Amino acid sequence: MTEDRGRGSGSGKHQMTVFFSFLWVLCLVFCIQPHVFAEEYTFDISEIEKKPYYLGGYAEVKPVLFWLDKNASLYKMRFYNRDEGSKVEEYDAELQLEGAIEKGISRLYIVTNTQYRDSYLGEDQKTILYEGYLSLKPSVSLTIDLGKKTLKWGKGYAWNPSAFIDRPKDPDDPELSREGFTVASADYIKSFKGPLKTLSFTPVVIPVYNHISTGFGEVNKLNFALKLYLLFYDTDIDFIFLTGGSKTTRYGMDFSRNITTNFEIHGEFAFINDYQKNYIDRDGNNFRKEYNAKSYLLGIRYLTELDTTYIIEYYHDGTGFTSDEMKDYFEFINKGYNSYVSTGGDALLKTALNVTEENYGRINPMRDYLYMRISQKEPFDILYFTPSITGILNIDDGSFSLSPELLYTGITNLELRLKTAFIAGERESEYGEKQNDCRAELRIRYYF
Amino acid sequence: MPKIFGFILVLMTALPAYAIDGTELLKQIDRNLNPESYESYRKLINIEPGGRKKEYTLFTVKKGLDKVAALFLSPASEKGRSTLRLGDNMWLYIPNVGKPIRITSLQSVVGGVFNNSDILQLDYAAEYHVEKVEEKGSEYILHLKAKTRTVAYDRIRLRADKNKKIPTKIECLTEKNLLIKTLYFKEAKDFGEEIIRPSVIETDSPLYKGYKSIMIYAKIKKRSFRDEVFTLTFMPNIESLR
Repeated sequence: MTEDRGRGSGSGKHQMTVFFSFLWVLCLVFCIQPHVFAEEYTFDISEIEKKPYYLGGYAEVKPVLFWLDKNASLYKMRFYNRDEGSKVEEYDAELQLEGAIEKGISRLYIVTNTQYRDSYLGEDQKTILYEGYLSLKPSVSLTIDLGKKTLKWGKGYAWNPSAFIDRPKDPDDPELSREGFTVASADYIKSFKGPLKTLSFTPVVIPVYNHISTGFGEVNKLNFALKLYLLFYDTDIDFIFLTGGSKTTRYGMDFSRNITTNFEIHGEFAFINDYQKNYIDRDGNNFRKEYNAKSYLLGIRYLTELDTTYIIEYYHDGTGFTSDEMKDYFEFINKGYNSYVSTGGDALLKTALNVTEENYGRINPMRDYLYMRISQKEPFDILYFTPSITGILNIDDGSFSLSPELLYTGITNLELRLKTAFIAGERESEYGEKQNDCRAELRIRYYF
Repeated sequence: MPKIFGFILVLMTALPAYAIDGTELLKQIDRNLNPESYESYRKLINIEPGGRKKEYTLFTVKKGLDKVAALFLSPASEKGRSTLRLGDNMWLYIPNVGKPIRITSLQSVVGGVFNNSDILQLDYAAEYHVEKVEEKGSEYILHLKAKTRTVAYDRIRLRADKNKKIPTKIECLTEKNLLIKTLYFKEAKDFGEEIIRPSVIETDSPLYKGYKSIMIYAKIKKRSFRDEVFTLTFMPNIESLR
């Protein structure tokens, strides 16, 4: 334990030095940029020549500081055998590479994501193929994709209950790239005159076998999904269907429409047949409940004359845990912690860790949430500067998180984001039992 | 009698000058700016008061009165993003992030003085009625009013060269005639296929004092597209049209 802390602290100082050196170099490079490139604007035709290949992506560094809540259940579960003090540092780095090769009607597209993390748990690095698929486009009406792909279905900003073939979003950072699943899909598009302007039809086959689309659901199953999209009376409408055995059969729909030029409404609905929920009681006994789950989301996006954007969403997750089920879970952790303190045995806490990873640890595990994001574009005439604040309220238990952030994108291809998050709630509430009270991070991302 | 006859003759020759068909004139101005269906390459440059600038390169396709789509080619942070406009509906697609989201005409996907409506400009005649046409020296002044409340600017004052019927200056106004921004059309260029039009559009705004945005056209070419190109489903594939 002491060794870990000592190594972490030394490594932290080293990382901090490297990080600030990197920051200084960036500042020097970009502060002199306007003077170096202060020539007249030009537009050379060679700038727009199409190449048969493409390579790009981004690199980012992100130091994070967490202030711990030592009385929280999740702190007790993860830190019961270590003392990290009142705050922990973490240093994240990420490299996302995107490449494409195009020839005739075919295009091969690949996205890889490499993440490095130096935290109180030590160093960790992983590389994941986020997407890698061959796309065939015999006509503008038809596209066929084969390989690993992120489908991004649904209309919600923070949550997508009808995105049956996507990994869940993190509502705290919904615009992060996500890993896809291996699929064979097609898009057929047809346009019309009249109130129905567009109709598109997307059948998808999702094979789930060992090492193929793991994490999607039960293995050794071939799944089939369909999406029907309509632009009908200026409203985007999707009807979605998934069946096959890896997950129970489910039906979804979503819509989005501009009421005025600055006011948009959207919604999603999902019906899941025979959803199986696994949960535990306060003594750690396992239970399984099977029922038809209904999830839905209703949201708006509103832009004021002063360029303030409001995104508000209400989300009901029919697969989520009730307040009583979550209380049982937290009480089981506390029981495990008390047992560890009195006997030194951590078997119950390890069981709690397992059920957390399998089930309770999902990003928003409960039933009813309210999301609100307010962002102000370019206040005080500061171009490319967007401060915003995001709040997520768990309606069931009244706990919440509040995340102010400052985003600056004024330097070509460089994005600077300073973000903090404060969480609060009663004991045995979702946010009240998180291991941190507060988090601060600086993300520096460079696109190339 | 000859005097009366002469007066009638003068009236007959003078009448056409006062009977300018504003709508027809606006349609001619639209056609002189762009073919009805075309592809183009543009660069948008935002210039801050201190001289710092940020550039964006776009590939744009348009069909008919109400369909336009644009794909960002650079900078790297924006590459692959695309925007689509179908009449009053606008969407933004960001690769790797999510599905196309609805955006509004008054927002700006690039920041700076140009908003989404300026970047995904439809024909002026598609969005505005001509209220009045004035003649001043070598220019026409067209007073335009938005056909619906969903149009980005309530009023537009468009100055056009009388001979070439090409805009020289456009003032975008609120309902109460307050100036929102001014577009200056400069540097006429022959793009081929009888397309001769300003290759540079500069804009400034009293709302963004000291800031300037510039749009430079490198290439405009007549081209026809199928309607399916202008759909949400096709947005990730606009690059394949290049």
